[in-house]
Amino acid sequence: MIAGSNLENILSSGTFAVTGELGPPKNGDMEVVRKKARILKGHVDAVNITDCQTAIVRMSSLTAGLIALSEGVEPVMQMTCRDRNRIGMQADILGAAALGIKNLLCLTGDHQKFGNHPQAKGVFDMDSIQLLQMVKGMRDEKRFQCGEEIKKAEPRLFLGCAANPFADPFEFRPVRLAKKVEAGANFCQTQIIYNVEKFQRFMEMARDLGIHERCYILAGVTPPKSLGMARYMKRFVPGLDVTDEVIQRLQDAKDQREEGIDICVDIIKQVQEIPGVAGVHIMAIEWEEAVPEIVKRAGLSDRPEPKGVEPVLISNQAITEAVERAREEAQLELKGELDKVKAEAQASRELVVKEKEKAASEISSLKKEIEAAKEMVSRKEAEVEKLTKELKQAKEALEKAKSEGPKEVVMTKEVKEVQGQTSLTAREQQVLQSLNMGLKALKDVLGLNDVQFEALRRFLEAEFMLQFGTSVSPEVLPSEAKKEIQPAAIEATKEEVVVEEVVKEEIAAEEEKPSERAKEVVNLVAKGNVALHNKDYVAAIEAFKKALEIDPDDEKAKEGLEKARELQVEQMQAEAKMAEIEGLPPCPEEISEEEWKEKWVIRFTARGNVALMKGNYDEAIKEFKKALEINPDYEKAKDGLKRAENREDIYIPSVEAKAEEVKVEEKPVKEEEKPEVEVKAEPEEKEEKKEEVEAKEEKEAPKVEEKPRPKVELKAPEGEGVTELEVAPLSKDEPPLSERAEGIPEDVYKEVCSGVIQSVTIGEGDKAIVVGGETTLPFHTFEGDMPNPPRIAYEVLDSPPEEWPDALLKYYSDVINDSAAWARKCVNEFGAKAICLSLASTDPNGANVSSQDAAKVAQKVIEAVDVPIILWGCGNAEKDTETLREITSLIGDKKVCLGPLTDANYKTLGATAMAFQYPVVASTPIDVNLAKQLNILLENLGVGLDHILMDPSIGAVGYGLEYTYSVMERIRLAALTQQDDKLSPPIICNLGREVWKAKETKLPTDAELGDQERRGVLIEGITASTLLLAGGELMIMRHPKAVNLTEALIEGLI
Amino acid sequence: MVKGARKILVLGCRGCVAVCSAGGDKEVKILSAALKLGVKRSGGEIEIDEDTLVRQCDPEYIEPLNERAKDYDLVMSMACGVGVNFVADRCPDVNVVPALNTTFYGANLSSGEWKELCAGCGACVLHLTGGLCPVARCAKSLSNGPCGGSQGGRCEINPDVPCIWQLIYDRLSKQDRKEELKNIMPIRDWTTAGHGGPRRRVREDLLP
Repeated sequence: MIAGSNLENILSSGTFAVTGELGPPKNGDMEVVRKKARILKGHVDAVNITDCQTAIVRMSSLTAGLIALSEGVEPVMQMTCRDRNRIGMQADILGAAALGIKNLLCLTGDHQKFGNHPQAKGVFDMDSIQLLQMVKGMRDEKRFQCGEEIKKAEPRLFLGCAANPFADPFEFRPVRLAKKVEAGANFCQTQIIYNVEKFQRFMEMARDLGIHERCYILAGVTPPKSLGMARYMKRFVPGLDVTDEVIQRLQDAKDQREEGIDICVDIIKQVQEIPGVAGVHIMAIEWEEAVPEIVKRAGLSDRPEPKGVEPVLISNQAITEAVERAREEAQLELKGELDKVKAEAQASRELVVKEKEKAASEISSLKKEIEAAKEMVSRKEAEVEKLTKELKQAKEALEKAKSEGPKEVVMTKEVKEVQGQTSLTAREQQVLQSLNMGLKALKDVLGLNDVQFEALRRFLEAEFMLQFGTSVSPEVLPSEAKKEIQPAAIEATKEEVVVEEVVKEEIAAEEEKPSERAKEVVNLVAKGNVALHNKDYVAAIEAFKKALEIDPDDEKAKEGLEKARELQVEQMQAEAKMAEIEGLPPCPEEISEEEWKEKWVIRFTARGNVALMKGNYDEAIKEFKKALEINPDYEKAKDGLKRAENREDIYIPSVEAKAEEVKVEEKPVKEEEKPEVEVKAEPEEKEEKKEEVEAKEEKEAPKVEEKPRPKVELKAPEGEGVTELEVAPLSKDEPPLSERAEGIPEDVYKEVCSGVIQSVTIGEGDKAIVVGGETTLPFHTFEGDMPNPPRIAYEVLDSPPEEWPDALLKYYSDVINDSAAWARKCVNEFGAKAICLSLASTDPNGANVSSQDAAKVAQKVIEAVDVPIILWGCGNAEKDTETLREITSLIGDKKVCLGPLTDANYKTLGATAMAFQYPVVASTPIDVNLAKQLNILLENLGVGLDHILMDPSIGAVGYGLEYTYSVMERIRLAALTQQDDKLSPPIICNLGREVWKAKETKLPTDAELGDQERRGVLIEGITASTLLLAGGELMIMRHPKAVNLTEALIEGLI
Repeated sequence: MVKGARKILVLGCRGCVAVCSAGGDKEVKILSAALKLGVKRSGGEIEIDEDTLVRQCDPEYIEPLNERAKDYDLVMSMACGVGVNFVADRCPDVNVVPALNTTFYGANLSSGEWKELCAGCGACVLHLTGGLCPVARCAKSLSNGPCGGSQGGRCEINPDVPCIWQLIYDRLSKQDRKEELKNIMPIRDWTTAGHGGPRRRVREDLLP
């Protein structure tokens, strides 16, 4: 190697080289150079920096070359003999070499006549050949031109020259090139070639002289920007042979620029075929933008990674300044982006605030309504009580009368008496009014629509009709309530109670729940009342007795018991009369028999519906059948029967929400009967549950029609969720590749890599995991081994997470305040094989929890579980050093993995890790070279590559995943195919935090974006699977379902 | 130059400048006449004497001027720059000015046409280049062959200028000496070309 330049590397490796050209500006603005350099960067191997081309004053090639170098573009500094004598030139050569310039193109230079200072004295102290000789002497003999020794560093330069195959005398041109090679040229760039045929002849002669074996010849090409430019070159540029064909092509072209690029590409392709041509030199004069396209179209865009392109830094101050400048620039560039992001964040924050306000106001109005409903209920209760008392009085009177005269007379008398009692009617009115109001309140509370409400109202109306024997709407009821009282009028009280109980049950969901005992009593009373209503007096008496056993003072139970007993007696008395009209109670005189029957049909139907609502299907069937016996065409009964037979627990579809509530209330009753379930119920929890129920209603209300979710599932997400979390394994039925590819030679599809990925052990003992060790690309098991499957670590935070969406938080809501419990949950419940403890709270820009406190939390977590643990700092280099060191001092040699180590703290943390033999996470911004550099630094420090996990920085789906992917892929390919062992450590991907901070995981469920949880899980799962395919070995994730999906994928692919 | 001078001497040289019709007897007369007319026209008055020395670059012809020039406000030399310098050197009291703008030392191609053929660089390579001087005759004084601007035998700076290296190539080819052009001519020493300071040539054998 002569100078070790990238161009030299490329050429000596036999790669077809591509060089470009960069004309420095006619001013002192270094941005111009930078911009041009950036355009060319990555598309060419080196860039010629012209030296006042055509004798026009421009920024010196040395300076512009250094600027290009600082942009990571290798300069080929041009030097002409026109403007400096040997003193000036040698001085510049020394300076250029000192500052990292490694290629020098030696030219005589255009005559000053052509420039903007034709009056200038052309120096021409020497010609290009003599210049080559001079530099070669400086380099190889360490002597100045005068012969004096260069005592220290001689300029190491890869020397180039120019050749013009189209100048005269043609036959002498190769000879002259040979002279240049003889003088010291290592490579040569030719004049712009349009006449390929002539160039071919030139090359033939050059080959005859053996020049191509001693010097790399790069063919010069230029895309003609326009017809005008081509014509100008043809006519006025000496030594440039623009063919008529080129002129013609441009003339015929629709888009001259496009055609110009195509012409250039065609020429490149032709010269590529000429033996001895080692590369191409693209001179897109003031049209640098065309170069990438030309290179691409010529199929040369895959440029090798530059080697040896390192700007030599002058001083610390310069570094600081450069960094400062870069930072400022980056800040400026990012500012727009930042503003956008800020605006977005602000918007979403506002949205959240609005939502919160809305929810709060909804809750408060709901609470108010509940209060109102409660009030109603209590008022109604009072009314009912009053009424009950009145009726009792009436009954007493009846009893009295009974003892005095025959029953029928008494009955009539009583009825008459009742009828005449206007005060009772008024009470009835009050009751009805209360009920009506209660119902309305209920409607509001439950958010029922009009249809639902109407249905509910009709149901109650049916009950009322039975009690008061009239079909009126509750609105007009009060005025007509003085209608006939049924012989079963006594039952009115019971019915009232039943209705009231139903209403109570409906409301109870929002009301504070009674204590277990009280609840049981209430339930028993309800049961009793239902039985009472169903005329199952034996059961009713039993239920009430039971209730009284628990609470001897329960008024309702006492009352119920009394009533049940009374009614039992009465039932027996009435039974005889029942037979009189088709098994129905005797028809009162006041109404026709038809009407009487009709009332009973309605009554039976109503009973059936009540039973149906309670889920008492057999009872409902019985009732509906009774109704149909009397009136086989009664639609409501038919409908009810169908429902009962189908075991549909919903009475009226539009009232399903109400039906739900009733069911929910019933649930605890069942649970109480099973003591093993009961255990969990604690008083505190009940308070929470109440709120939960309220909250759930808020959330659920709009969802009801879409998908009514059983309450039980919501109350205990773990129970239901875990089964949901399970993921079916991937099918492994597919036959192996060797079978599928039968008949195709193996070497066609198989590409065996020679590199190997490091195996890194994390944790210790049985639970230790090993990642890496593969000798092939991810999951290419047909090409090599993948001894250790990729692993997934659950992320545990050291403090309650902020801004986690509910879809994720709900799995951890019970443990967010205790990191150790959290870790345990991950391991025991979700089967985590590793834990990553994120020490986010230590961030000095955030909560800034002290290292000592954080260390204690970490210690607890480490002690809580036996799976491997990765400790992930907050990302602040200094604080992480402090925190992680603090933790290691607490846990001693218990094996953990430390991260992230950056270029700012790798020394301190690397030393700590070495002391305890911990593996570390080497974290760099997304860049292959930075990743490699940090690995080298760590290795220099003494941390083995088998103790490093590379964190190349991750982007989630939609947030730069593609970039991550390509960088990871390049890292992996370098390790495997180029045996770049400095890039061979396994890759760790901390993706959970990237995924769940994405806006898309937080947006609520809606029709467009779908279910929030499902969406989040898929984003995390897809990100993980993509990273696995890019070469990731250790994933840090959050959602159990996403983890399970990813594990199923790994399992299926291995 | 002559402004304010009342009496001047126009002094010709019968050397080179006479040959190239720039400063001989004839030119002295013409210039004098022109000056008189010019001054007269601008309303002034001037007395002009005319003389022509054998050479202005040899001291024996210059020495008498010391005495003679005392009568003149200024002496206008029609010699080359050498003559002007020599007068100035030799006659401290004489106010001497140039009448010519000395361009180069060339050959008379034909009547009225001269061309630079030698730069007097003091490092002659004519033996290597077929007698054709690249130092004087190449726009960039190249030493190792034609630059890329050589097209059709013409120099890029001006189509009227032949490319000397094309001519050298042709000439040496004709002489079967083409091979010589493969040799690299080493970097030049420009001290003899004036870059080493004013040049002085001493021939011991001729010294008095």
